Amino acid sequence: MKRENAQALLRAYARFFAASFRANLRSAMEYRTNFLIQVFGMMINNAAFVVFWSFLFAKTGALGGYRFQDVMFLWALSSSAFGLSNVLFGNARQLSELVRQGDLDVYLLQPKDVLVNALTSKTIVSAWGDFAYGFVVLAFLGFDPPHWIMFALFVVSGALVFTGVFVISESLSFFLGSSAGITGAATEFILSFSLYPEGIFPSGMRWVFYSLVPSGFIVFLPLRVFRSWSPGLAALVLAVSLAYAFLAAGIFRAGLKRYESGNRIGARD
Amino acid sequence: MNWLTAKRRKYGSSAEVAIRNRWAYPGDFLGLVITYGLFVFVFSRIWIAAYSGRAEIVGYDRSMATWYFIVAELVVFSSGNHFWSFAREIRDGQVAYSLGRPYGFLAYQYAQKMGLALTQWVPFAAIGGLIGTAMAGPLRFSAAQLPVFVLSFLLAASLQYLIQACLAMTAFWLEENSAFYWIYSKISLVLGTLMPLEFLPLPLMRATLFTPFPYVTYVPARIAVAWEPGRAWALVGGQVAWTVAVGLLAAAIFSRGVRKTTIHGG
Amino acid sequence: MTVIRTRNLAKSFSVRVGTRGAFSLRSLLRPEIRLVEAVKGIDLTVEEGESVAFLGPNGAGKSTTIKMMTGILYPSSGTIDVLGFDPQRDRKRLGFLIGSVFGQKSQLWYHLPPRDSFRLLGAIYEIEPRELAKRTGELVERFGLADLMDIPVRKLSLGQRIRCEIAASLLHRPRLLFLDEPTIGLDVVVKQEIRALLDEWNREGKVTIFLTSHDVGDVEKLCRRAILIHHGTILLDESVKSLKRRAGQRKIVGVRYESPTAIDIPGLEAEKRTPDAAKFFVDSGAGDLQNLIRRLVNLGPVADLTVEDEPLENLIADLYRTGSKEEADELVNR
Repeated sequence: MKRENAQALLRAYARFFAASFRANLRSAMEYRTNFLIQVFGMMINNAAFVVFWSFLFAKTGALGGYRFQDVMFLWALSSSAFGLSNVLFGNARQLSELVRQGDLDVYLLQPKDVLVNALTSKTIVSAWGDFAYGFVVLAFLGFDPPHWIMFALFVVSGALVFTGVFVISESLSFFLGSSAGITGAATEFILSFSLYPEGIFPSGMRWVFYSLVPSGFIVFLPLRVFRSWSPGLAALVLAVSLAYAFLAAGIFRAGLKRYESGNRIGARD
Repeated sequence: MNWLTAKRRKYGSSAEVAIRNRWAYPGDFLGLVITYGLFVFVFSRIWIAAYSGRAEIVGYDRSMATWYFIVAELVVFSSGNHFWSFAREIRDGQVAYSLGRPYGFLAYQYAQKMGLALTQWVPFAAIGGLIGTAMAGPLRFSAAQLPVFVLSFLLAASLQYLIQACLAMTAFWLEENSAFYWIYSKISLVLGTLMPLEFLPLPLMRATLFTPFPYVTYVPARIAVAWEPGRAWALVGGQVAWTVAVGLLAAAIFSRGVRKTTIHGG
Repeated sequence: MTVIRTRNLAKSFSVRVGTRGAFSLRSLLRPEIRLVEAVKGIDLTVEEGESVAFLGPNGAGKSTTIKMMTGILYPSSGTIDVLGFDPQRDRKRLGFLIGSVFGQKSQLWYHLPPRDSFRLLGAIYEIEPRELAKRTGELVERFGLADLMDIPVRKLSLGQRIRCEIAASLLHRPRLLFLDEPTIGLDVVVKQEIRALLDEWNREGKVTIFLTSHDVGDVEKLCRRAILIHHGTILLDESVKSLKRRAGQRKIVGVRYESPTAIDIPGLEAEKRTPDAAKFFVDSGAGDLQNLIRRLVNLGPVADLTVEDEPLENLIADLYRTGSKEEADELVNR
């Protein structure tokens, strides 16, 4: 592709992305009270676990090589990354529902990438609370600006991995016909394993965190980088999260082919 | 048919409807069971890490701490969070509609929720028991504990229902009341669900015993893992007292709320 | 210029049958698959500036055809050319040139005022902000949306929403507009408004219209050509005017007498009859009409006499009931 074309495309998508974000924010703000309650509720939810961990650590000391600050970091990063994923790509956990209702057609008719267009067309209100929570915790933990930048970067990469997991599990519906519960279970798994110290799990199952349930790339590796700066590891995290996002997009596209060619049609119409 | 059987039939069938509705969506329910199993697994691992190099913490060994979590969450998961449906029914004016029917709204709801809790606990207990036994050894449980435990479990489920009902009934006055439930369920997590009350700082633990929270999760879980007959009966007494108190409160809130609904026409 | 051209367009779906016992192992391992041919070889050409009604009973293959034309579904065989593009290969590029209003599926954000959706659509269709403001202004004036632009869509009435929906679909100045049941559920006044607006836009040469509807009013007021498909094939393709003329060749004659009368016309059976009134269907050619009226008048003192064209709706309903092209031709050329 010619350079100007690529630039024009990038500009068009940047503008589209900005407009989507704006629409999402306004949509959330339409229900201001609800928005505030959800955000507040999510903060309380997460804060309850801070209390739990502080009581537990007071009795036990380090757990699986993790101290209180480390667990707080896991919570901060997981919440913000999960939050960002749901703020920007609120439809990620509803793709199969969109397919089932035939609502993907609207995005297929518009001249933008179907996946990006569908994902960005919704925001999850409570996710704003999750997103904000991580930064509040970080402020309490007290870090220097380079760590803030690092954190922000890992929030973005983590959000890509979360979104990738959701898109992959939702895309299964193209192939299986129904994905009822798969995404729910995937969400529970990835969240549960991203919120607790890696060290408490048996070493025999840790490979899972770097493959099927990629919590390793969302929080565990970033934590290592956070503890002691390693450009190589940081680059690996970013590269893997990008690769994960592209893999998800690829799987979605492959599934979409089946939708378009309409070989599998349920009891519709 | 005498009055009692009529009554039992009515509430019995309302429970049956609730149970059937539940099984109409096995996928959702399976999701809950998986979530519960996952929590049990993760917390079993947390306790393995916490007890590495020590045999006990504040009077609990690893098996007790693990089984404590399993039982406490069992109460929460099997009694369900019916706050939402309850609040919705009030907001939709379902209450006014069911006022015309010959049964009390609260009792009707209670029959439904308890019916659910009484069947739902089985799959949760099965998966929790399996994982717990695999990771922390079988629960040490004596026959003498059983009747007290069952009583305490039933009271806990009832109290859980009544507290949620009270919170949900704020919908009579407030358009948006989910924040109450959020706060309640999260405080409850910290005060006796995720870990035994004894893990809290002493003054906080003492203060907590004057709130309803421990009587929902701490009491049945404690009775299941540590058998001290005298203390157990005292704790169950506390449950009875709180159930009666919250029950009266719920009835009072309901009659006020209904008066408001009928005056303003729903 | 040709806007749409399809050659031998066909689409079949494989449908899983025998859902009896959804959990049975056999239906899981060896599901019985049946091939359903939704569209069986459609050839049609639409020229720029036309307004075409695409008709057919439920399940005739209308939506499948439109979905193939817009790139949503892949054809099983045959070719499609829309504005010089292959809709499947060039879906995104084609997206800039076509618009669509699918009655039930909204492009507007439910919780936001239309103004916000217009802005987002501006970004999706890459319309420069100044140009977007200009076009929005024009459409707002034309469609009378001034008071609606800042009200969240969920608070608009259906008619207001559809008006916004159509305006939104015209924002990027599509050369071809697909409308699927645009007036469904609307009251008569709103229907007329919307037909007038679309008709105007089409007659000014701004857009080619391709419409499906079950409302014959839409067809009569808005379209100049009708294509009727049934069982996946085209039964009829001709101008709405000639279709109306054919329908109008049959007249409905109604008569009412001042007192009960024995209404007997040799060789013609009444469609409806009461003691003092009757209704007859008669072809207007061959002097039959004249004949009938003369006889009716001779039977006694007439209180009221009406002669109407048979409504287009009846002809279409008859066509829907036919199964083959031959039958349809016969019906139309009777």
